[in-house]
Amino acid sequence: MAEIAYAACAITAGLCAWLLLRAFMRSRFRLLLWGGLCFVGLTLNSVLLIFDKMVFPALDLSVFRLSMGLVALLVLLTGLILDGDA
Amino acid sequence: MSNVLIGAIAASSFAIGLFFLRYWRSSRDRFYLLFAASFLIEAVNRAAMGVIGVSELEPLHYCIRFIAYAVIVLAIWDKNRRR
Repeated sequence: MAEIAYAACAITAGLCAWLLLRAFMRSRFRLLLWGGLCFVGLTLNSVLLIFDKMVFPALDLSVFRLSMGLVALLVLLTGLILDGDA
Repeated sequence: MSNVLIGAIAASSFAIGLFFLRYWRSSRDRFYLLFAASFLIEAVNRAAMGVIGVSELEPLHYCIRFIAYAVIVLAIWDKNRRR
């Protein structure tokens, strides 16, 4: 069950990143770029979780993993503040 | 340290959700409303993680996160469909 939930998050986050970046390439609407980069980070966050839990169960990657998630969100937040005239 | 990061993630998600809510209010485009919903769901999920104190690895959190991410996919699909 846990493995399915973790994998579903990683796949969906990757799908979001791909769709947002593809939409940015077509429209050049910068908010889509910030969103796409945010979801690239969230995908890495989800992949790190799978590594943390299943590949290296003896290691605790939680601080590294959560930092990655926070940086991803801060990228989008920065984009929204500096560049977000929707 | 982990709880500090979880709190910062919850606050960032909440702020991002509010930005999208503002865009929705000015544009009335439901694309932004769905983005706002996704990030606000994540904010509540992360805050609950910190407040309730259950394990960060609890699969339920990841089921909720999956729903939040699926809302983003829905927003993009809906936007493309309307074009």
